Amino acid sequence: MIELSQLTKVYGEDVVAVDQLSLAVGQGEVYGLLGPNGAGKTTTLRMILGLLQPTSGEATILGCRVSTDPLRMKQLIGLVSASAGLYQWLTPRELLQYFAIGFGLSLEQAFQRTRELAEVMELERFLDRRCATLSTGQAQRVNLARALVHDPPVVLLDEPTRGLDVVGAKIVFDYVQLLRQSNKAIIVCTHQLEEAERFCDRFGLLYRGKLRYEGTLAELRASTGQPSLVDIFLKLLRDDGSGNGSSNIDSAKEAVLAQ
Amino acid sequence: MNDTHTNINTATDSKTSVQATDSRQTAVPFSFAQQWEFTLKELRETLRDRRTIVTLMAMPLLLYPMLGLGLRFLAFQESSDQKVEYRLAIGSETEGAWLSEALQLGNSLLAASSEAKEQQPAPDVQLLVPNDPSEFDLEALVKNSAADVGVRVQLNGASVGNQFPATARVQLLQSRDSVRSRDAADYVQQRLAAANIDWIRQTSELNGKPFRLPVEQIRVLLEPAETGSAVLGLLPLILLLMTVTGGVYPAIDLTAGERERNTLETLMALPVPRFRLLVAKFVAVVAVTMLTGLMNLLAMSITLYALQLDKTLLGGDGFTLGLGCKLFLALSAFALFYSAVLLLLTSSARSFKEAQAYLIPLLLLSIAPGLVILMPGWNLASGTAALPLVNMLLLSRELLEGTVTLLPAMVAIVSTVLYGVAALAMAAQVFGNDAAAIGSRGGWKDLLQRPKELSQQPSITAALVGLAILFPAYFVTSGVLSRGDAQPSGRLGLSAAMTIALFVGLPWLLLRWQRIDVLAGLGLKKTSWHYYVAAGMLGIATWPWIFELVVLAQSIGIRGIDLSQIENVESLLAGWREVPLWLIVVCLGVVPGVCEECFFRGYLFNGLKQHLNATWTIVVAAVAFGLFHVVLAGGAAPERLLPSTLMGLLLGWMAYRSGSIVPSIVLHAIHNSTLLLVVQSRDLLAEWNIGQVEQVHLPWLWLAVSAGVLGVGLMITRLAIKPAPFSTKEPETI
Repeated sequence: MIELSQLTKVYGEDVVAVDQLSLAVGQGEVYGLLGPNGAGKTTTLRMILGLLQPTSGEATILGCRVSTDPLRMKQLIGLVSASAGLYQWLTPRELLQYFAIGFGLSLEQAFQRTRELAEVMELERFLDRRCATLSTGQAQRVNLARALVHDPPVVLLDEPTRGLDVVGAKIVFDYVQLLRQSNKAIIVCTHQLEEAERFCDRFGLLYRGKLRYEGTLAELRASTGQPSLVDIFLKLLRDDGSGNGSSNIDSAKEAVLAQ
Repeated sequence: MNDTHTNINTATDSKTSVQATDSRQTAVPFSFAQQWEFTLKELRETLRDRRTIVTLMAMPLLLYPMLGLGLRFLAFQESSDQKVEYRLAIGSETEGAWLSEALQLGNSLLAASSEAKEQQPAPDVQLLVPNDPSEFDLEALVKNSAADVGVRVQLNGASVGNQFPATARVQLLQSRDSVRSRDAADYVQQRLAAANIDWIRQTSELNGKPFRLPVEQIRVLLEPAETGSAVLGLLPLILLLMTVTGGVYPAIDLTAGERERNTLETLMALPVPRFRLLVAKFVAVVAVTMLTGLMNLLAMSITLYALQLDKTLLGGDGFTLGLGCKLFLALSAFALFYSAVLLLLTSSARSFKEAQAYLIPLLLLSIAPGLVILMPGWNLASGTAALPLVNMLLLSRELLEGTVTLLPAMVAIVSTVLYGVAALAMAAQVFGNDAAAIGSRGGWKDLLQRPKELSQQPSITAALVGLAILFPAYFVTSGVLSRGDAQPSGRLGLSAAMTIALFVGLPWLLLRWQRIDVLAGLGLKKTSWHYYVAAGMLGIATWPWIFELVVLAQSIGIRGIDLSQIENVESLLAGWREVPLWLIVVCLGVVPGVCEECFFRGYLFNGLKQHLNATWTIVVAAVAFGLFHVVLAGGAAPERLLPSTLMGLLLGWMAYRSGSIVPSIVLHAIHNSTLLLVVQSRDLLAEWNIGQVEQVHLPWLWLAVSAGVLGVGLMITRLAIKPAPFSTKEPETI
């Protein structure tokens, strides 16, 4: 359903954020795009969404190309971002209806869709309260619901559990399961490797803009000889030919383990 | 999450799901319902915030009463009609009684002899008499400005026989540097002198000698040529600056606030063009700015009324409802312009703080023109009507003074609105441009950056900026040309050169800058021969109907040119008789036909259609075309608005149907040329009893024939094969 072909983003003359990235995600599949900060995960998602123009390459969803029809591309995608805020002076109901109509639904369809999502995502209790008064968990639910108002075939999740406690992370986990059952194609960008192991079907390990490893967990274990994603990731750092020195690897290891 | 629903598509299998699937076939089309929802969200975000309401409501209510007191002080200082009060300090009650009687006598004598009493109100005189004369220091009172003049009266006690109370020696104590003190001293001196002269007259007549002064003086008060009150100059500045303060906070909140709250990325993920999202924000900012303007206008009018300043400052009927409505119209145009500028500045800011840093210089810069217009000699004319900000300040002042004239007022409003539209289009370039990527931002250089790649069509921003440049440039150059003393043929040549430079030269430059193929960007393409035939028929057959519409407009009182200007036009027409007909037709028929089409149905049309559907593209280009034709050299012709706009609709439809501007050029040039030939054949028309062309309808036979040709032309245009869908694949370029 999602196909990336040689997708590349270069900032300025020589800063390569994403380097000839190619991958495919099928219907009902959860693809974990993993990597440390600055690996190019968010840049990749924004290129798929048409928010950033690729330097070269193409992103395609259901035959629609981002280079030629970015607006249609946006219609096919639901975006969940941990950093996304809510409009403080709107209620969740108004917010969901706003985005539903923005995605092309009629007013009646927007009402209906809001009712459905309020039920599924358990928003009814605070549907008419101002977003400024919602707790972090409630705001997270609204954010997750917002990405589904137009029932997109593809959902992109950017660091969906960042800053959330165990309960918040459980909400996201359930959400991803829900998306999988709804046959959506999903890309999850995260550096929470242990968590990714729980809900992703396949993985792509991105490092310095390049896709270093790709496959299911079993395939990755077989090809790298490492038992977990954390170990695979550490191996990646060790094998990195650019030679950043052992101190960088140690600090990266500490960061990974701390997560 | 609700466990009873394991599949979020379950409940959407019905209508919603179907619609969502269908909508994937095309991008979300423009709809008013959707645009209204976007606007509603921005209005909710803005108006639910108490800070906005405080700025909107409380500021004018607090500010104007305070300002009013200051204005009253200034107004009384400068007003010549206002009653003046003189405070005369005097040493004792006896002296006061004498002085009062003497002044009264002087007043009555002056009133009988002078015409000044009808022109200048008599001042109020207040006598300051001490309770305890021993502690009363006249000199100190004058020096400390507690009294305007001190008067010492030394009574001789002798009666002089006439109405004069008694003889006396009077000493006036005047402050050297005070105008008011000098005026008060003059006031006393004049009255005492009048009484003295009257005594001499009476004594002389008693002795049988007729009395006649060698010099007779009459003072006549004249109104100054320029009524330019400083207070009237200040009022528009206060009003406009206070109005824009309402838009500052919403503009920041709805643009930089989106970044600060991390909502910009999800907003940019909507499948709608940024321009439409920004238009919604713009409407919200304009709404708040206009509400602020209304509140300010109300607060100002109430303050002027309550402090009895309205008639003092404005004269006549004071602050009327009609004046309020006109001022609100000017404020609305200004609100459109300023809101767009605010959005342009705040769209690239990442935070409130950064946005405020951009806006403070803007507000300071806005004060400068306000102070400039206080200087004498500034009025709304060809040089100033298109100057942003200055034009609105001058318009507001002239509205308050009641000296406004139609053409510059209209140019001021239209140019201000056009600048606003251009600023909004530029803001859309900056807003959200690579901005969703945290850490990156749209910058000013995006606006001036030349595209690296070639393209086929101008952007809507470039088209609107072109329109905003063209309108004032056209107005100013037309004004300059109309003042020249060139021969008719020279003037025609200059006019044609100006038309080419503005309507073709400007878009050519803009297209080159944007690396756009000039022929494609102007819409110069091959098309079916059917359209040329139809254009020829329509060109010949349209003028009688346009002519009739002008006559109709004039008959219902829509007429902008006064009699003196008609004389000018008549002399111009007489001058043309010396000019070869072919030159007139080329300079005023063919050249404008070609050039105006290059801009309106070419450059502007192609830019507009990037964001608008066919209908709106045709309508917007036609209205712009109509507005241009209202501006004539030396005067406004509002009666041309409707006919020219209708003509613009026809030309736009032809360009849309044919996919090229060439048939529109043919139509336009033939239409103009035919009309010119008719005007030049006025003598012949007079023989056919259609002497007063501008007043008498054309013969029915003419109208019937032209209606028939028009119908056939329209039918051919409608039935001819359309070369390509609107705004997608373009026909082959010439």
